Amino acid sequence: MSNNNFSRRKFLAGAATVGAAGAMGMGTLSSCSGGGSSASAEYDWVKREYKYPPMLDQVPGGTVLKAGIVGCGGRGTGAALNFLEAGGSTVQVTALADVFQDRLDSCVERIKKESGQEVPAENCFVGFDAYEKVLDSGVDIVILATPPKFRPQQFEAAVKARKHVFMEKPIAVDPVGIRQVLAAAKMADAAGLKVVTGTQRRHQHKYLDVYKELSNNAIGKLTTAEVYWNGGQLWYRNSKPEWSEMEWMIRDWVNWCWLSGDHIVEQHVHNIDVANWFFGKHPIKALGFGSRQRRPTGDQYDNFAIRYELDDGRQILSTCRQINGCTNAVNEVMHGTKGKAFTSQGGTATITDVDGNNLFSYEDHETSPYVQEHKNLITCIREDIPFNEAEETANSVMVAIMGRVSAYTGKEVTWDEMMNSDMKLGPDTFIMGDIGYMQDASVPVPGTVDRE
Amino acid sequence: MAIFKRFGNYLRKKLLLIIFIGFILGIAVALSSTKVIEATSTNESCEMCHVHPHVFDSWKLSVHHENRIGMHIGCVECHLPPKGQGYLKEKIKASARDAYGYVFKDSADFNWEAKSTLEQAQHFVFEESCINCHNNLFPLTLTNEGQEAHLYYSQNEEELRCINCHLHVGHYDPNALHAKNVEFGNAGNESKEKYTSAADVAGHNDYTETIPGTTIAFNMKAIPGGSFEIGSPESEQLRESDEGPQKTVNVSSFFMAEIEVSWDEYLAFYSATAAEGRSTDTEGSRTQADVDAISGPTPPYGQPDQNWGLGSRPAITMSYHSAETYCKWLSQVTGKTYRLPTEAEWEYAARGGTETPFFFEGQPKDFKDKNFIGKLFGKGSDLINNYVVYEKNSSLKTAKPDVVEPNPFGLKNMLGNAAEYCADWYSEDAYSNLNDGVTDPKGPASGDEHVIREGHLKALLAK
Repeated sequence: MSNNNFSRRKFLAGAATVGAAGAMGMGTLSSCSGGGSSASAEYDWVKREYKYPPMLDQVPGGTVLKAGIVGCGGRGTGAALNFLEAGGSTVQVTALADVFQDRLDSCVERIKKESGQEVPAENCFVGFDAYEKVLDSGVDIVILATPPKFRPQQFEAAVKARKHVFMEKPIAVDPVGIRQVLAAAKMADAAGLKVVTGTQRRHQHKYLDVYKELSNNAIGKLTTAEVYWNGGQLWYRNSKPEWSEMEWMIRDWVNWCWLSGDHIVEQHVHNIDVANWFFGKHPIKALGFGSRQRRPTGDQYDNFAIRYELDDGRQILSTCRQINGCTNAVNEVMHGTKGKAFTSQGGTATITDVDGNNLFSYEDHETSPYVQEHKNLITCIREDIPFNEAEETANSVMVAIMGRVSAYTGKEVTWDEMMNSDMKLGPDTFIMGDIGYMQDASVPVPGTVDRE
Repeated sequence: MAIFKRFGNYLRKKLLLIIFIGFILGIAVALSSTKVIEATSTNESCEMCHVHPHVFDSWKLSVHHENRIGMHIGCVECHLPPKGQGYLKEKIKASARDAYGYVFKDSADFNWEAKSTLEQAQHFVFEESCINCHNNLFPLTLTNEGQEAHLYYSQNEEELRCINCHLHVGHYDPNALHAKNVEFGNAGNESKEKYTSAADVAGHNDYTETIPGTTIAFNMKAIPGGSFEIGSPESEQLRESDEGPQKTVNVSSFFMAEIEVSWDEYLAFYSATAAEGRSTDTEGSRTQADVDAISGPTPPYGQPDQNWGLGSRPAITMSYHSAETYCKWLSQVTGKTYRLPTEAEWEYAARGGTETPFFFEGQPKDFKDKNFIGKLFGKGSDLINNYVVYEKNSSLKTAKPDVVEPNPFGLKNMLGNAAEYCADWYSEDAYSNLNDGVTDPKGPASGDEHVIREGHLKALLAK
């Protein structure tokens, strides 16, 4: 703003005020606007660059790639097995980390039983800093599958240790964590590291084929997306007398907001990510509802309904629920000017015109997307194909966080507020003991407090 | 016929010769001009014309001269864009500027300090040059603070420059601070006597407020109510369209501070309310709706005073919200009502009972930058210098209030130094919506931005 005249009546425009300015971190963030609000009939698919994963059925051969697993629970162990299936005899799991010995032991056991590989005992580490030992153990790849709260710190450490990364979504629970992931993602790019983020729909033939159909203008310009993850109650664990507060919270992590980000972030981010991917941009504001009806433990909601808006006014309508005895649906519907596309991870994907006539349908490919994403990672490493999904996934997680904050507060929340927010959930230090967190934990009540 | 043919051949041969000579000459010119460009792009050649040795001293102390990889970054590497990205054009521009300054100006008159501020430096430090050397903004060795900052930059590349944060890498400044400023606000006057109570005010007279529990006092002037024409007539020089139409406005009597809110005053609020840092536990405290306290500012990043000094200089760089919160706090500790002035009150106070463009003699154009005609006829800026801190006399810094004289109401710096927040919402056509003869108008009911009034230390009198 250059206001050089001796103005006697001026107003605040932007950040320049009172004759001095330039404070870093205070300005507003320019959203990723493409200025594409014109009513042109042709959709802006053509202009869009999307980095397709390689999608080979068989990974190329090469030197043995060694992976370390950080977080040996259900998903970590599952990811280890998916990785071993994807790479066959050309890959190994050589190191493990977890905060609990019993989880580590069961992981060793399952890997041995299902793949025949034995992880050496000296490479199994327990504790909050066990991930650092895995990074030091000579692995090429780390698979990060702890509760999402720990992801940003571990991802950054992995990148700084020059490891390729497979990390499960969501990759953070709060804006501070998101920014840490975004910065580490740029470091990974600069260092030539490959990153896959567990958004397996982007590695699923069915989704990629629908995406290609839509990019060939099958349903015209996209106008609205509906995204759903309405399912039954997820697992929970009741506290045991021998467990400390921290131990119980981590064992029950999908029910605690600071560990999981709430279920809109932890689970529904998959569907939100599909909408962002198909639109080629993320929403810039959210207004939503949510509540807690049936969840037995923790401090989270069990239902959300969010209306998201893109910078050009288009909308994403999202609902998610974890309550038994209700109608379930986990899918995405993209509405366009000439028809609509229906996608879901299982079942048939279809594209229909405005009259409901079928234009396209697709059944599943035989390779599981959970295995395919590891095949893609291995291929990108061996063929040195630049591939890094961290930024796009971070954006999708941020959208989910934006929805959560809107529902918790009852207020409209913008992308800029989130991107500049210093919200950081959970305790500052992690110790296995009583951390005094739960005595203050409460379920959010909309309309009671402003939050940015 | 043969003679024509021979002549033709002769010409053809000569033509080749001429082309050949031209070609050789061309190469020679190109070579020598490259030599000239090289010769005039060395640090030594820069030093010859730039007669301000401290710049060379501070450069030699900087990380661009003394760094761990032993690379010395020369003048042109930062002060000209990389070759092929407008290098020659900028070189010609810079050379012309330097030559002009060398021949026609006295180097003693240059304000070197102002030239090294961000605002001016961005005109002769090239973003492309920074990026040219530092093309990886995310090296694995980057600190966490650097990660956040570079991420912010990567999301706002069009608005930001590298020197927004790295202003002092090319020329060392021992006073530059690049950190969270936890010491900020320690005024160092703890040993002085603290006031125990706020001033008693009886009647509408000037008084000196004393902030209880602090060593801070400031003068308040009693402004008599009255009527005036808000805005400026269409015939006034350098007028903006949002200054009209003029309306008659009545203002009730009120008090106004003699000087702009000073750092001393603002820091009293700061140290009384500032916390070590914001709590990160936003989840746990979400439902506590009944908090009864004034939330304080967080430790600032860098120097909110722009290194211009604190004390009686006006408090700057705070947000509108901070200004309002300060008023709220001041009201609470003094038991009086302090608030931002309405726009009508501000203008009434600034005019001090006059109806002319300034409360002192003269028209805006009289005080424009001294030009050739101005010099000839002796139109000077002496009068304005008595009252207004602006671009021509501020050295691009805020000034202490004792350098100016008050207006007829006894108020200082109503027309310069720092611009001031008003309580009203801004609207371009706010005056059209005023009723003639209205008393104490408050501006539009809502808006996006608040009114800020008057010129400031960087304001010029000419467009």
